[in-house]
Amino acid sequence: MTIRIVTDSSCDLPSDLIQQHGITVLPCYVVVDDQELKDGVDIQADDFYRRLQGEGRTPTTSQPTPADFEEVYRGLTGQGHQIISIHVSGKLSGTLNSAEQAKARLDDGSAVEIIDSQLASIPLGLAVLDAAVLAAEGGNFHEIAGKIRQNLGQYHGLFALDTLEYLQKGGRIGKARAFMGSVLHVKPILRLQDGEAHPVERPRNRDRAMRRLVGLTQELAPVKRLAVIHSTDAARMAELKQGLAGILPADQIIETRFGSTLGTYMGPDALGIAITQELR
Amino acid sequence: MDQLRGQELKAAFSAATERLEEFRDAVNALNVFPVPDGDTGTNMLLTMRAALKAATEECPDGQEHSVAAVSSSLAQGAFFGARGNSGVILSQFFKGFADALSDKELLTSRDLSSAFNLASEAAYKAVGSPVEGTMLTVIRSASEATRETGLDLLKTLEAAYLTSQEALEHTPEQLPDLRQAGVVDAGGLGVVVLIGGILQRLSDDEAGGIDLSELSRFQGAINNGGQINLDYLNASTEEEWGFCTQFIIGSAAGDSLDLDQVRSYFQETALSAVVVGDHQNIRVHIHVEDPAPAISYAETLGSVSDVKIEDMDSQNESFAESRHSAHAECPTLALLPVAQGEGLTHLFRDSGCAGVIEGGQTMNPSVQQILDAAHKTRAKDVIILPNNSNIVLAAEQAAAAEPSIHVVPSRSVPQGVAALLAFNPEGPWQENVESMSSVLSEVASVEVTTATRGVNINGVEVTEGQFIGLLDGELAIAEDDSESALRSTLSLAGLNGDAIVTVYCGAGKSPADAAQITAGLEQKYPGIQVDLIEGGQPYHQYLASVE
Repeated sequence: MTIRIVTDSSCDLPSDLIQQHGITVLPCYVVVDDQELKDGVDIQADDFYRRLQGEGRTPTTSQPTPADFEEVYRGLTGQGHQIISIHVSGKLSGTLNSAEQAKARLDDGSAVEIIDSQLASIPLGLAVLDAAVLAAEGGNFHEIAGKIRQNLGQYHGLFALDTLEYLQKGGRIGKARAFMGSVLHVKPILRLQDGEAHPVERPRNRDRAMRRLVGLTQELAPVKRLAVIHSTDAARMAELKQGLAGILPADQIIETRFGSTLGTYMGPDALGIAITQELR
Repeated sequence: MDQLRGQELKAAFSAATERLEEFRDAVNALNVFPVPDGDTGTNMLLTMRAALKAATEECPDGQEHSVAAVSSSLAQGAFFGARGNSGVILSQFFKGFADALSDKELLTSRDLSSAFNLASEAAYKAVGSPVEGTMLTVIRSASEATRETGLDLLKTLEAAYLTSQEALEHTPEQLPDLRQAGVVDAGGLGVVVLIGGILQRLSDDEAGGIDLSELSRFQGAINNGGQINLDYLNASTEEEWGFCTQFIIGSAAGDSLDLDQVRSYFQETALSAVVVGDHQNIRVHIHVEDPAPAISYAETLGSVSDVKIEDMDSQNESFAESRHSAHAECPTLALLPVAQGEGLTHLFRDSGCAGVIEGGQTMNPSVQQILDAAHKTRAKDVIILPNNSNIVLAAEQAAAAEPSIHVVPSRSVPQGVAALLAFNPEGPWQENVESMSSVLSEVASVEVTTATRGVNINGVEVTEGQFIGLLDGELAIAEDDSESALRSTLSLAGLNGDAIVTVYCGAGKSPADAAQITAGLEQKYPGIQVDLIEGGQPYHQYLASVE
């Protein structure tokens, strides 16, 4: 009996890592121009960002349905697997609710542990990666789930947005509301904390925002793993990665992209860093 | 109307979905609970469409169908097409609806009532902890209204429609999030529209058809002049949550469990309770101060398994704490700048300041005015940005008079803006005063104004009426026009590398007036960034910062 890791597409992990670690990713839905599309399946990032900046109705997202979860859970438990299902923060999405409902419907004593990561995007992805590594090493199912829960505090996310407009339109502005304001064209930096986005600083332009992202990452050293992420500007992400090279060798830093789900809130020209802190 | 055939039921739901489409934006706009993401209308609409698509595949148009076949295909389609929480609730509604009609060829008013009631029960079971004042309440009220006997189908539906509107009207009284936002529940409006749409379709052929436009009264805010109040986001959460406790009770061999008895026990003893199941297995999800007695009770009934206990208070405490310090407009810590001019006032307010004390070069506010403005914010601590060297002292006197007032001694508007951007609304005042004060020296302040008399200072010869440029408060240059004075002073301010220049145009000036100057500077110093902002301040034709 093996343990399988299930997550949702808001984890923004690159597909090679997903395959390499045998992770099951449930696509979230994005509704663009009245079409409901599976993130990463029916719609890819390039197409999504083109439409995000187009004329149509503002895209919205919705969690995988209980039926989606039930299908995945039944498929895996049917093959005799135990499941650890790690998902986007319950303060940002109803995904956990869908997962819990599906679990309740299994009703056959199958082992499914559902974990609220308190994270989103690639910080969630890094937690999922470590979970997959732990699961592959084998061991007691409940102990492994407990360990994953216990270690969630070591994952951090820093994001530099071009605008808070998309976060606001999507209803996830939360505490970052304090940084709203359009007169000064600031590039707000947000941090994931207690399951939601908190305002950190307001640099005046993108170069300074990038420097601050690096500076804030430095404060979290020593780090075990780093990932960089972008929505529409791969070149700036590469620059950001170079800036982080003093903290971790560049070839060890994961590069990825905000999928349609996160892209709905991050908007164009967003950058981010995910950090796995070294446990002390 | 006494009975409805399957195809008529489908057509009624189809018409209702069209009505929902018309109200979609109105429903989206009301969406503040549980997450204000403005998609409840879209999610309900997509779920309805999925339900109808499945119904049309199973029960094609132009043929006879039983209500059992139609409602079960609607339920099937809704289950697989459910979007968002509102969609999941809707899909469970259809499941209950279909279960009640599983052997029905035709629909009578009595069938409608039992279907509605089973649907309502199923909807409540769809969510972990049902919350009143949501679409659940609207569904339940409508189902209760159908219980009156002796009415025909139309009258029964009409009762459901009227009662659902009443329930919707009361949702803000039940749910604080709605009350603070000043709206009725979004999903609840969706339900009312659906019921109204069905009624409208069925009453088409009869006298006294209904008009759904009356529902527009629920659009937007129900008070507050139509403006939806977003301050509800800062609502504090003071409720006691206790321990979230979940387990399953299995019946002892040969025994059967009494679901109602178990449910009423936990409803009486727990802070909140969801109890579902049958005579063999009961799933319990409760919030209690102490989980031990609950589990002991369960053990007297049968075998207890899948126990999960989480301390909600400790989770909620840290959550509530961070919420308190993060009120968008800072009720614990307010930022209060002194500024003059429409543009500057807007800039400071727009960037999260609690208010703006009117004042500046020619109009210094008194200590009393500063104290009054600080009181008006009602914040526990207030940080004043004097933004003028002549006002720093008055601000410091106000701070000396009241320990809750603190000063970051910004001597110009550019310094004040730099301090503003270093403000962390979630940090304590001490930390903020320190970090905001430390950035004051990082900006160079440029001021351009008119000389009121001729002087010679710092070797600069000035004639009355000339335009003078001050760099960090010191006279630097005199020119015959204000744009030249701006250019010359900026050139002295160290425009190198990746400097950011922000120019605030005074009253009577517009960004267009300064554009030529700044374009020239950008050419001369590649790499700098220039922002032109309408400040509208009197006295200074231009204020500018270099950072």
